[in-house]
Amino acid sequence: MMVKLEKIDGGKISLEIEVAEKMLEDALGQAYKKVVKNVNLPGFRKGKVPRPILESHFGSEVLYEEALEILVPDAYEKAVEETSIEPVAPPEIDLLQMEKGKPLIFKAIVEVKPEIELPEYRGVQIDREVREITGTDVANRLAQMQKQHVKLHVLADAPLASGDVALLDFTGYVDGVPFDGGSAENYTLEVGSGSFIPGFEEQMVGMNIGEEKDIAVSFPEEYHNEDLAGKPAIFKIKLNEIKRKELPELNDDFAAEVSEFATLAELKDDILNKLKEAEEKKSSNEVAKRVVETLAESIDVLLPAALVDREVDRMISEMENFMKMQGLNLEKFLSLTQQSVDGLRLDKRLEAEKRVRADLLLDAIVKKEGIEATDEEVKERIGKMAESYGQPVEVIEEYFAAPGQAEALFQEIKVRKAIDFLVAEAKITNVVAPATKEEK
Amino acid sequence: MIRDAREIIKKPLISEKSTSMMEEMKYAFQVDPKANKIEIKKAVEEIFKVKVKDVNTIRVSGKMKRMGAYSGRRPNWKKAIVTLEEGSKPIEIFEGL
Repeated sequence: MMVKLEKIDGGKISLEIEVAEKMLEDALGQAYKKVVKNVNLPGFRKGKVPRPILESHFGSEVLYEEALEILVPDAYEKAVEETSIEPVAPPEIDLLQMEKGKPLIFKAIVEVKPEIELPEYRGVQIDREVREITGTDVANRLAQMQKQHVKLHVLADAPLASGDVALLDFTGYVDGVPFDGGSAENYTLEVGSGSFIPGFEEQMVGMNIGEEKDIAVSFPEEYHNEDLAGKPAIFKIKLNEIKRKELPELNDDFAAEVSEFATLAELKDDILNKLKEAEEKKSSNEVAKRVVETLAESIDVLLPAALVDREVDRMISEMENFMKMQGLNLEKFLSLTQQSVDGLRLDKRLEAEKRVRADLLLDAIVKKEGIEATDEEVKERIGKMAESYGQPVEVIEEYFAAPGQAEALFQEIKVRKAIDFLVAEAKITNVVAPATKEEK
Repeated sequence: MIRDAREIIKKPLISEKSTSMMEEMKYAFQVDPKANKIEIKKAVEEIFKVKVKDVNTIRVSGKMKRMGAYSGRRPNWKKAIVTLEEGSKPIEIFEGL
């Protein structure tokens, strides 16, 4: 087998592959054996048609077609190995010569992983944003927990205030006629939550238990029911019960109730530590991401379309999986957001290009630095995965025994190590991050 | 009776059996039922420019065929197995039909 390699524009490579006559002949023989099984010809039992008769009857193209299917992928694969190129997409095959008694020659044009010139990847200057965790953060977190453990008290007699939960009956009238979906009994409404039409809840404030009232509001112009949008309405309501929210007091009892800690001080310490840890992790991740991004942006390379497309595909299928967990599917999502698949793809393209760039960069660094994944690391990773999936280690190992999976795992470990390497080499300056906004 | 050689030899018979007989330089044809062995020999020699050693003939009676209530009969015909002289060139029509 002879291979001629030629670089052409657009990050593509053309391989001219010559397959010896003998191989072609063998492949034709194989092809005949395959084809003859499905040939029905009068005078012959199925599978017994001699080759010359078959060829003269159906033309030798049948056999050639079949033979190419056997021969070309094989030859192509060998050629790829021989020239050690890294294709990123299936090749375009062009037949140049296919005649009896002559070697088979074909051309394969394929997009390859572009070779990139590595920028100076040591000592990247990166700011590490560290936000100090203060007492305020802890207090915020505590307040959040307080809200989660709020208690409702039924009030015997008091005017309704904003923030209370009201139990009410209501009937809505538009033009003096009750409308569909406009009435309910003992409806639970948090006053001030804004879940009703604007103005409704405000007018309720100050009502007493058992009081009846007419509330005049008008539906907003952009109301989802077009028949009602923009129309004035009158709601006759009756207040049945008022529940007032009461935040639990912050003391040792509270700590004992919501956590495994006995005292409030211990709970506070724990929160502080957890927040610090999370912040630490967040900033390390951020640094790693920035290091890779900064470097990836600085490489000058023509991204193979096939790679970007594949990344887009992967992102979309990730999205789909995510949606499935929430009981959505892609079509529904698209119709809800009024997007087309193409539009979505276009949206994702930029991000995909970024990712491909990063992948190329990390791959090149793995090669340049000779980063390898050791058996221990693989074991450790598998162990971690087993833990997070709640499966025995053997199950995970079995999964990676499948062809191609092990390489993917190795590659992943190598890439991680490359990232760690880059971060370790980078010049990181600590800066104090601007205080984050209060969490919701 | 001298007739056109191409009227005597109707068509070559190609089947599993006839292809395997080709190794023994025997070729099968459907021929005119009225033709005799000598005529067949001459016709084959003329058309294919080969040397014929022997001719065997068989009358094949047509099959009974039914189309629902109606029955009919396919015509009777004659099959000829022609053996070529050793060293004669093969009949090409069988090679590339």
